[in-house]
Amino acid sequence: MLRIECPCCGLRDQDEFRYGGDASVTRPGHDDPDPEAWYRYVYVRANPAGLHREFWQHVIGCRQWLMVERDTRNHAIASVAFARKAPAKKSFTQTSLAQKSLTKKSPVRKSTA
Amino acid sequence: MSSNQKRLAAGGRISREQPVEFTFDGRRLVGYRGDTLASALLANGVTLVGRSFKYHRPRGIFSAGPEEPNALVTLGTAGRREPNLPATTLELADGMVVESQNRWPSLAFDVQSINSLLAPFLSAGFYYKMFMGPTRRAWMFYEHFIRKAAGLGRAGTDPDPDRYEVRHTFADVAIVGGGPAGLSAARAAAAAGARVALIEQDFLLGGQLLADPSDGVAASWLRQAKAELESFENVTLMRRTTAFGAYDGNVIGLVEQCGQTDPQRAGEARQTFTMLRARSIVFATGAIERPMVFSNNDRPSVMLASAARTYLNRYAVLPGKKVIVATGNDGAWRTAFDYAASGAEVMVADLRAAPPAALTAEAARLRVAVRAGTRIVDLDGGHAVRRTTLAGPGGESQTACDLVCMSGGWSPTVHLTSHLGVKPVYRDDIGGFVPGAFTAGRFGAGSMMGTHSTADAIDDGHRAGIEAASFCGKSASVPAPSKLDLGETATAPLREISSAGRGKAFVDFQMDVTTKDIELAHREGYESVEHLKRYTTLGMGTDQGKTSNFPALVAMAALRNATIPETGATTFRPPYTPVAIGALAGRATGHHFKPIRRTPMHDWHMANGAEMLEVGLWMRPYFYRQSGRDVNEAYVAEMRTVRQAAGLMDISTLGKIDVQGPDAAIFLDRVYANGFAKLPVGRARYGVMLRDDGIVFDDGTTTRLAENRFFMTTSTAKAADVLSRLEFLLDTAWPDLRVAVTSVSDEWAAMSVAGPKSCAILSAAFPALDVSDEALPHMGRLESEWEGRALRILRLSYSGERAYEIYVGATAGGQLWSRLLEAGRAFDLKPYGVEALGALRVEKGHVAGPEIDGRTTLDDLGLGRMAGKRTGFVGDVLRRRPAYLAPYRQRLVGLECIEDGKRLRGGAILFLPGEKPYGHGRGRITSVTFSPERGHYVGLALLAGDVAVEGNEITAVYPMKDETVRARIVSPVFLDPQGERLHG
Amino acid sequence: MASVMSSQEFSLSVADCPLIQIEGWDGTLAQFEKGVSASLGTKLPASVGETVRHRGLLVVRVAPRHLLLALDDGIEAPSLAVDPDLGCSVSLGEGRVRFSMAGAGIARILSRCIAVDWHAPAAAPGRAVQTSLHHVPVLFLRTGETACDLIVPRSFSRSLADWIADSAAASCA
Repeated sequence: MLRIECPCCGLRDQDEFRYGGDASVTRPGHDDPDPEAWYRYVYVRANPAGLHREFWQHVIGCRQWLMVERDTRNHAIASVAFARKAPAKKSFTQTSLAQKSLTKKSPVRKSTA
Repeated sequence: MSSNQKRLAAGGRISREQPVEFTFDGRRLVGYRGDTLASALLANGVTLVGRSFKYHRPRGIFSAGPEEPNALVTLGTAGRREPNLPATTLELADGMVVESQNRWPSLAFDVQSINSLLAPFLSAGFYYKMFMGPTRRAWMFYEHFIRKAAGLGRAGTDPDPDRYEVRHTFADVAIVGGGPAGLSAARAAAAAGARVALIEQDFLLGGQLLADPSDGVAASWLRQAKAELESFENVTLMRRTTAFGAYDGNVIGLVEQCGQTDPQRAGEARQTFTMLRARSIVFATGAIERPMVFSNNDRPSVMLASAARTYLNRYAVLPGKKVIVATGNDGAWRTAFDYAASGAEVMVADLRAAPPAALTAEAARLRVAVRAGTRIVDLDGGHAVRRTTLAGPGGESQTACDLVCMSGGWSPTVHLTSHLGVKPVYRDDIGGFVPGAFTAGRFGAGSMMGTHSTADAIDDGHRAGIEAASFCGKSASVPAPSKLDLGETATAPLREISSAGRGKAFVDFQMDVTTKDIELAHREGYESVEHLKRYTTLGMGTDQGKTSNFPALVAMAALRNATIPETGATTFRPPYTPVAIGALAGRATGHHFKPIRRTPMHDWHMANGAEMLEVGLWMRPYFYRQSGRDVNEAYVAEMRTVRQAAGLMDISTLGKIDVQGPDAAIFLDRVYANGFAKLPVGRARYGVMLRDDGIVFDDGTTTRLAENRFFMTTSTAKAADVLSRLEFLLDTAWPDLRVAVTSVSDEWAAMSVAGPKSCAILSAAFPALDVSDEALPHMGRLESEWEGRALRILRLSYSGERAYEIYVGATAGGQLWSRLLEAGRAFDLKPYGVEALGALRVEKGHVAGPEIDGRTTLDDLGLGRMAGKRTGFVGDVLRRRPAYLAPYRQRLVGLECIEDGKRLRGGAILFLPGEKPYGHGRGRITSVTFSPERGHYVGLALLAGDVAVEGNEITAVYPMKDETVRARIVSPVFLDPQGERLHG
Repeated sequence: MASVMSSQEFSLSVADCPLIQIEGWDGTLAQFEKGVSASLGTKLPASVGETVRHRGLLVVRVAPRHLLLALDDGIEAPSLAVDPDLGCSVSLGEGRVRFSMAGAGIARILSRCIAVDWHAPAAAPGRAVQTSLHHVPVLFLRTGETACDLIVPRSFSRSLADWIADSAAASCA
């Protein structure tokens, strides 16, 4: 059994995670019309004997997608990091200040049982 | 024979005041607390314990541990019957019922020992040569007889009445092995401040120290070590616990025996499977003595020298009084000395021309006869040895004896490290394999690393314990361990095992592999160790060749004129010793086999005649018994109710996902093949998601609750996959989108009211709500509250009828269900189950799991128009690849049965009329139902596009039932193609 | 609250579990949390697994940008201002059930249920651990020296309560 060190939950058993495939391939942009690029992303794999970058989700935990570097020869895990990259900065701060009126209250309903 | 006639009056680690009764093949015998089954049998003079695997040769007790290849027995009766247990590891318990194995009609007189005479036919490769190729048919004939003759014990067929448990534990340092090295490592690691788990397979700690006299220096060292360990609060001592496998992440699989030896613990699990997660591991697994190979070396009363010493010193059993010790190393001499001291007449036959002077001097003192440069070559005796033939400088001579102790050296126990991928490396100086380089956090100590003496093992363990603790950041100072010097000498062992054979000389006792088999394998070109193993079955018994691997390697190396490293070693795999499947399963059997998901209306279904069906983990109503006698009658009646009045269906199992955020609409536009950005607030839309490769992933409806908030439903089966996929896209592909996706599947109870009277029922159930077509049109949505919980009504149809999906907070699900039934009574509302649900959707031509099977595209399913000319969604580019557009690609069609009294079946293969029904055909039927509307069976099928011409005939073949049915290809929508009933 | 079993050694009771999840968008998290903290009147747990208890409300960080607010029985829900440009909230109180467990045998019994090291700092009183119980995702809340809660999905709750009760019955036999 692999044990994977989730960056926010700590060292956990493999069965808390879901495997998400090769993380070394580049996903084309959502509107990239190039079949070649999508073909490479979906089908072409290096399948290395050695260090392999792969996605795992801590699905029974924080649900974060992780990038794991695992040696395929001995399962030694060299690194684990959040797969999420910092988002591209968007210019929404202006609108958010303007839309303060949209702020709503969402009370928690108490059950009667 | 008197009881315990071979038992010494004093000594040993048994409680003579605690007799233990057991039966062996129906004979009532008595041993003592502290005995193993093997020691109790020996004490009672039982030497013949079993028959061998292939030749049915008489076998006795060979070892004193888990390496035992011969003394395999069946324990217990009925459901508790467990075969192939080594008598050497069974802690004797009151009332134990033990049977010998592989004998008929009795152990002493076995008809099939005649197999020995047939031996030429049963040599290596026999089955392969006999039954493969042209004579393969012979196997059909002989299999029954061979299976009866070969093999070991018979398992029980009754359900196992015992309990098993799975446990999760943690430690800083796990120490495998409770011998001197392991005890010393545990003490050091504990003193350094680490949380320690010490694992010992035996019910006593001590390892090889237990073979030493129970009143000597070893015993007092052991007593002190044990007391010291017990004084640590941070040490867990796990006895009767075998580390059967070592896995990645420093996880060790342990199986603990309990409950079977101690009636006080009868309620506990018989075996507990523990997953121990350790930060570092010290392997102190010791070593296993090897046999010598000579003719008839498998006879009862031939045993390993260390085992003989263990039976004498630990169990106070003197199994023989005329003892031959055959060896090529120093260690076995201690057996000779201890037996001599206990009054036996002992002769040592040492392969070496000049054994060390210290040993010969001691031998002289104890009147032990010594034959140097002498080997044992043969042995007489059936059920017990009578005489050996020794070959030495003076030629051959025969010596009477009743016990032969042999030692072919020691093999470090590298099984567990081998599980971790640590390749064993050969050390010529010790004549054995030791583990190669460890990865970080793993350490070895004692004889498993090739350390020879007890004193060195203690030092070694001490060092390993400190290092292992330090690896976990625990490095308090540790006082030096107390010394123990047993005066072991360490001269190079002589490793020579083969002998000029007259009779069979066994290498693998359990699998009945002899030197001749190895010669044959070599002659036929099976020289690699891995081939040798498979060709001869060497090492493939339940003992995994613990005593046979090395002698076989030596034999093969000699035949090939190669060194041992050149000859190689086989790989060990878990489990180290057999583990009951029951232990691995633990409590996950019966109703706990998997967790069960129940909807909020579950109790109502159970109380109201629902026949339940497992759908994944969910329990769903299959049909209701009041609808019909069986499912076929019931689902048709339930369909009629929906089409003519109204039905109520529990759809709480649907996957439900809350999608929120400023970019939620953009996100959905990308994940669905059809557009969602322009979906008005308050409206629902059916959506289909594709995978990146263009294949359909899942379908469902998504409702826009607010500008930035959507309520997505998925199929029951794909709920978890869809959520993970959405999270994947948000985390890795489009981190710039501000969207949150949260499973709310458990939040909502969901039920669907379907049928022409559904609107009237809703009005009756919710008099305060306006559910008119104006307020709640088809694909419309209504939000409210009911009994203090959120209420959401979506007007969606799966069945083709006017229908409403009603969602309410899960805690109120049961209440609302009853409310709807009550309100619907006047309108003939009845509940319906998943069989009717499936049938209704087939009639309406909706695709579901059987069609969305991971191989079909939007176009295959006739849904291509949903995507239209849109681009930029997941799967968009690859769905347009040429192969998906090929004319022969299978696409969705409807079929109707055109033969009276016959039916269509899901899974039937489709052929053109007159075509020979062979191979994969032109397509297959995916879903079928009897259609009350049409009065015959209809079905959905995937059929090659080039023959899918509506109106043509097709032949559906179902070989499982030898059925051939004619059907007509029609539109998949069997009912109301204009969709008028949605508004009816 | 319904008691499933009760003894010195181990007790298990089951109750509804008012719960709200909030999530802040990446990039503006600090701003979002400042607002949440102000409207709750308490500081927020800094890292995943930490909890903060405040006036009958338990705030648990379950992921870097996710907080769970669990309400004690009888406590009114806080009014929570969530700026949709900074984050969102979703109520999960209908779909979860709280198992409250206590007793001298709790560590031994739970070792047969979840792979959580009772003695590790990550599971110390006041800590939260998300893990699996018989393959089902659960939230473990360590409430005391010999006490803890598990927040479990409602659909699995009966099956999981059975699992724990069986484990306890067997272990105390």
